[in-house]
Amino acid sequence: MRVIVMGCGRVGSAVAGRVAASGHDVTVLDTDPYSFRRLPPGFDGQSLVGDGTRRRSLEDAGIRGAEAFLALTQGDNRNILASQIAKHIYRTPTVVTRVYDPYRAEIFGRLGLVTFSPTNVGADMACAALFGSGDAGDGRAAEG
Amino acid sequence: MYIIVVGGGRVGRGLALELHRQPDHEVVVIERGAERAAELRAELGEMIVRGDGTEVALLEGVGASRCDLLIALTDNDAHNLVACQVATHHFNVPRTIARVDDPENERLFRMLGVGETISAARAVMAQIEATLPEHTVVPLLPVHGSGLQIVELHVQPGSPACGRAIRDLALPQPSLISLVIGPDGEPRIPGGDTVLREGDEVIAVTPEDAEPQLRALIATPDVEPEGEA
Repeated sequence: MRVIVMGCGRVGSAVAGRVAASGHDVTVLDTDPYSFRRLPPGFDGQSLVGDGTRRRSLEDAGIRGAEAFLALTQGDNRNILASQIAKHIYRTPTVVTRVYDPYRAEIFGRLGLVTFSPTNVGADMACAALFGSGDAGDGRAAEG
Repeated sequence: MYIIVVGGGRVGRGLALELHRQPDHEVVVIERGAERAAELRAELGEMIVRGDGTEVALLEGVGASRCDLLIALTDNDAHNLVACQVATHHFNVPRTIARVDDPENERLFRMLGVGETISAARAVMAQIEATLPEHTVVPLLPVHGSGLQIVELHVQPGSPACGRAIRDLALPQPSLISLVIGPDGEPRIPGGDTVLREGDEVIAVTPEDAEPQLRALIATPDVEPEGEA
């Protein structure tokens, strides 16, 4: 399947690397070409300089006909805007959105995006490490 | 009325000043930049709140759930969209208005429930087009939520439509010519056999992406091709 990853930071580059390694067709988008240095050696997907909140860049990356779009930049609101363009304008079947702010993750989860909050994931893991596994407290990762 | 303005740039400040003068309105302006917020606070006082107007905790702190209208005026489309959506879906704010920088986001914003959008780019373009003597297509008004817009075209001499009846024109679907205004200023409701003449103004409803076809048909004068034709 064709997968588009927006944001080539630590998480974006790792996800792009893994998806490519499992044999899928990956295009990773970032506004800063320097960020592509993070892609793992031997990465055989495409990297493209572009802004995932702009239709032009999304179309260049092949959003038409893509199976999945993952918005993984540092900017919650940019991720939310790009994801809603992918979901509502291009009807991309699977859209995953990283939203640091747990409240916004929950709100946009209710509005139909599949969101996850690294803040909650990190807090859950820290508490699990502290208390042992099992109930790690108030996990708030939203489902879409 | 309680109004929250997100973004204290020039437009936000101007609006705050204007609304502040009207005693019926309670206004809060949320500005993210520390320096700008301090500057505005010195001028406008308590109504300026520093912070991120897309953040739930901050909006809660300024009482967003009793807000009647949220206006998002930052220079960033993503922030403006999220501020309006959080206001609508988390705080049940009944009315939102967003500034849109990138004209292609306008339709998406309305699809996602933003009440009204203001596009500076569109307003400026329309104004400039209207002042140019050779202006040919002037976007007048987007039709709410439909992807259609109302445009004004000037029938150009030598264009494919000039001198022909409306029924003989291959109008792009589903465009509609709604009104024809003659050079004398007299409006007429067009029928199939209305003939378009040079100098007529045409008001049409058209999908945004069919505008170039409409322009080619009605508003493109017969220009001698340049170069070695």
